[in-house]
Amino acid sequence: MSDLDSNQNRRSFLKYLLSTSIVGFLASVLYPVISYLNPPKQNEVEVSSVLAGKISDFEKDSGKIIRFGNKPVIVIRTEKDEFKALSAVCTHLDCTVQYKKELGLIWCACHNGKYDLTGKNVSGPPPRPLEVYKINKQGENIFVSKKA
Amino acid sequence: MKKIVKSFYDYLDERLHLEDLVHFMGKKYVPVHAHSIWYYFGGVSLFFFIVQVTTGILLLFYYKAGPDLAFESIQYIMSKVQFGWLIRSIHGWAANLFILSAVIHMFSVYFEKAYRKPRELTWISGMLMLFLGMGFGFSGYLLPWNELSFFATKVGSDIAGAVPIVGESMKILMRGGPDVTGATLSRLFGFHVALFPGIFTVVLGIHLLLIQRQGISEPMHFEHLEQKEKKTMPFFPNFLLRDLLLWLVMLNLLAILAVFFPAELGHKADAFGSAPAGIKPEWYFLFMFQSLKYLPAHIIFIEGEVLGILLFGAAFALWLIVPFWDRKSARGEKNRLITYLGIFAIMFIIVLTILGWVA
Amino acid sequence: MKNIIFFTFTFFLLNGFSFLNGKAPESSDQCFVCHEQLGGVADLFKKDIHFQKGISCAGCHGGDSKTDDMDKAMSKSAGFLGIPKGDDISLRCANCHAKKEMMQKYGSHLPTNQLELLKASVHGKLSTTGKEKIVQCITCHNAHGIVSVKSPASPVYPLNIPNTCGKCHSNAKFMQTYNPSLAVDQVAKYRTSVHGMLNAKGDPKPAECASCHGSHGIRATADTKSQVYALNIPETCSKCHSDAEYMAGYKIPTDQYAKYAISVHGKALLEKHDVGAPACNSCHGNHGATPPGVESISKVCGSCHALNADLFSSSPHKQAFDKEKLPECETCHSNHAIMPATKAMLGVSKEAVCSKCHTESKSTKGYFVAQKMRSYVDSLDASEALALKLINEAEQKGMEISETKFKLRDAHQAKLEARTMVHSFNEEKFKEVVVGKGLAVTTASISEAKEAVDNYFFRRYGLMVSVLIISVLSFALYLYIKQIEKKQASKIS
Repeated sequence: MSDLDSNQNRRSFLKYLLSTSIVGFLASVLYPVISYLNPPKQNEVEVSSVLAGKISDFEKDSGKIIRFGNKPVIVIRTEKDEFKALSAVCTHLDCTVQYKKELGLIWCACHNGKYDLTGKNVSGPPPRPLEVYKINKQGENIFVSKKA
Repeated sequence: MKKIVKSFYDYLDERLHLEDLVHFMGKKYVPVHAHSIWYYFGGVSLFFFIVQVTTGILLLFYYKAGPDLAFESIQYIMSKVQFGWLIRSIHGWAANLFILSAVIHMFSVYFEKAYRKPRELTWISGMLMLFLGMGFGFSGYLLPWNELSFFATKVGSDIAGAVPIVGESMKILMRGGPDVTGATLSRLFGFHVALFPGIFTVVLGIHLLLIQRQGISEPMHFEHLEQKEKKTMPFFPNFLLRDLLLWLVMLNLLAILAVFFPAELGHKADAFGSAPAGIKPEWYFLFMFQSLKYLPAHIIFIEGEVLGILLFGAAFALWLIVPFWDRKSARGEKNRLITYLGIFAIMFIIVLTILGWVA
Repeated sequence: MKNIIFFTFTFFLLNGFSFLNGKAPESSDQCFVCHEQLGGVADLFKKDIHFQKGISCAGCHGGDSKTDDMDKAMSKSAGFLGIPKGDDISLRCANCHAKKEMMQKYGSHLPTNQLELLKASVHGKLSTTGKEKIVQCITCHNAHGIVSVKSPASPVYPLNIPNTCGKCHSNAKFMQTYNPSLAVDQVAKYRTSVHGMLNAKGDPKPAECASCHGSHGIRATADTKSQVYALNIPETCSKCHSDAEYMAGYKIPTDQYAKYAISVHGKALLEKHDVGAPACNSCHGNHGATPPGVESISKVCGSCHALNADLFSSSPHKQAFDKEKLPECETCHSNHAIMPATKAMLGVSKEAVCSKCHTESKSTKGYFVAQKMRSYVDSLDASEALALKLINEAEQKGMEISETKFKLRDAHQAKLEARTMVHSFNEEKFKEVVVGKGLAVTTASISEAKEAVDNYFFRRYGLMVSVLIISVLSFALYLYIKQIEKKQASKIS
């Protein structure tokens, strides 16, 4: 009786162990697979457009650096209330440029390079103009995208 | 619960005559002897193949072939997609382990001379799958489009191009042009995810069908034994469950390898960049790569490399048709020559792989 | 009749020979005979090289110079042209000067491409009246008293060129009609230059207008083929300044071009074709070319390197340099062979420029400041390298670290700003940039990258769980197999 019982017990324990561990196994395989299939937030491989912020985030006659992929882009709201977006990487030695209110220009602190608001290098060492990005307004939102 | 399962089974049985199949499987026995362990490697290879198909399909959801996007999409899989790193690393590891277990499987069949009549076709289909597996490895290696894979593909296809007469057109066919470019990437991508899997599945089907039809090969010494002296084990459920157990162990191994030695990204391929030092092919090509390096530039009147390629080609061809020229084993006699050749081949492969590894 | 034929024949023969001999056939040039009596132009022509070579008035003006009958000589039927006008003038000259055989006939080996060059030049392309081009041959060479370029009497003799060009180029009213934006002070500036002063003293060797701008083929400065186009300037100057033989009498080095070509400026201009980079004239001036004096060096360099010059002027070095009469930028950076500024220049090691003056014994404070400043840069470099290494490691492991990578750009910026700030020679200000800005970023990046790498290892916990589950399942399966086989064994027995 006891022998049969213990056998029976062992068997039911084994069944229990087997079924629970199969469930656990399925969970540990399916969990990564399902999470993998769940699309990530950034659902494109390459950045093509970035939300720079709301119009109200930008003061008139000021500039702000935003991140575009791995590159900084300077978004400027001019005195005349126009929005401009340009690469913020100085073409001289890759410093990050800034908007200089007094001059109404884009200025690089490293070697006093200056660009006008169309990105043209107007003085100092920069050899080339800054790359221009496109501004798209959607309601209150300002989007920056690469020029096609 | 049991009732539902039973009624579902009955439903299927009524239409498909499953009873026959169960009966057939129950009648199947696997010989038990000192070298039984080798019987498992076929199943293990199958397991890795299934893993490859599954993870490969998963990778396809995010991978984008093309020189502008391939590397970036892998980067994306590795950093942005949840468990993307795991799926990719498992795919990479299972690829290597598949080749390894397939090679072990092949050598075990070779030494047992299990290819002898009537299993010649099983051997040939198996060898075809091994070659296809190498093709998978070669084509898949380029897909991340990083420096290492780019130059390894360049070197690899250059070697293929050295084959006399057909080499140049083979190289162009492989590269989709005279150079390794984005065209090569789309081409090898096509090979990797469509052409090879298609062929492989058909050959695998034939291989499995033959095994089921002919049963599992018995070792040669069984022929001299009485029927009751032959130790066996039922294929179902005993052998199949053991197979499953081994598969679980392998899955564990894969998970551990994938976490501790994940696939790396490398640096994006630059066609105009200089080749990084120490370009090596995947380890299973290493012994060939290394032996070609040791050959002198010229042997008598032909180029050393060309001679090497021809020799390897001849060796592979001989190996492929071994069931047809090993008449002795087919007659049930011992053939020591085959065994020595096999030992030589293994030693050669191991030594040159090590030399290539440390070089 | 026979006589006439014989006479004509011998006349031609004689004439022809004298033609070839290059002797003036005075008696036969009836134009000259008459016009000499009138004076003026003919007097001038006597000195003319063409007259001496035996070319008659008719050579340019047409007509028959052999007859003393004015009507006949200057008739249209004899091919008389009168005074050539406009572009015809240069065409008349080119009639001979563009033809090699013709020039050889007179024993001349002058080039024959002058008109071609002139036509391609700014003078030969532009016109103020719309009818004729601005400059004809005679504009610079004169009309009747043309003498060899080598003769000091020629308006295009080196000593006379500045005034010849200045006739138009210094005339604001004239230049206005053609190029109002062009300066008219070139000659005045030239006279202040080393070249101009030597030229005024009667030395024909130093550069005048044509030495740099060319003579017949003068092109606008913006024309890439111009000898004075920004990219071509160093080579143009080096034509003389790198010629040791030519420069022998002037006691100045001739290695400026060689040094410039390897300098940061030379590489930017000559290799990268960055026309914003300075050429010789950017520092020395062009028309008023002069080496900048000791006191003006920092102003010259500062016209581009404004921040550095400002910082330097307010630094303690300013006074010290003034006192020692050291040229400001040049003392550390040299003049022509200016190398990219690296941290090797800073500090107290052998290569460092600070140690030229600041030795440990002499002025101890400067020595220690230099040493400290260098140590800041070194630690920033090391820290940046570590950050990069860790970011790379995290990236290779598939961790998301682009934010940190993006942030690390600021360290690069701090390093570049430090290169400017070093000119304050103020330890505090320098530290503010290198440590306050740069090192702060790198330290933050390092800790973020480390965190990412740690997060990566966190995966191992997840692995542990799944390995455990799979192991349990394997174990259960193993027991199950044993159980089945036990059952089978008991069945058989």
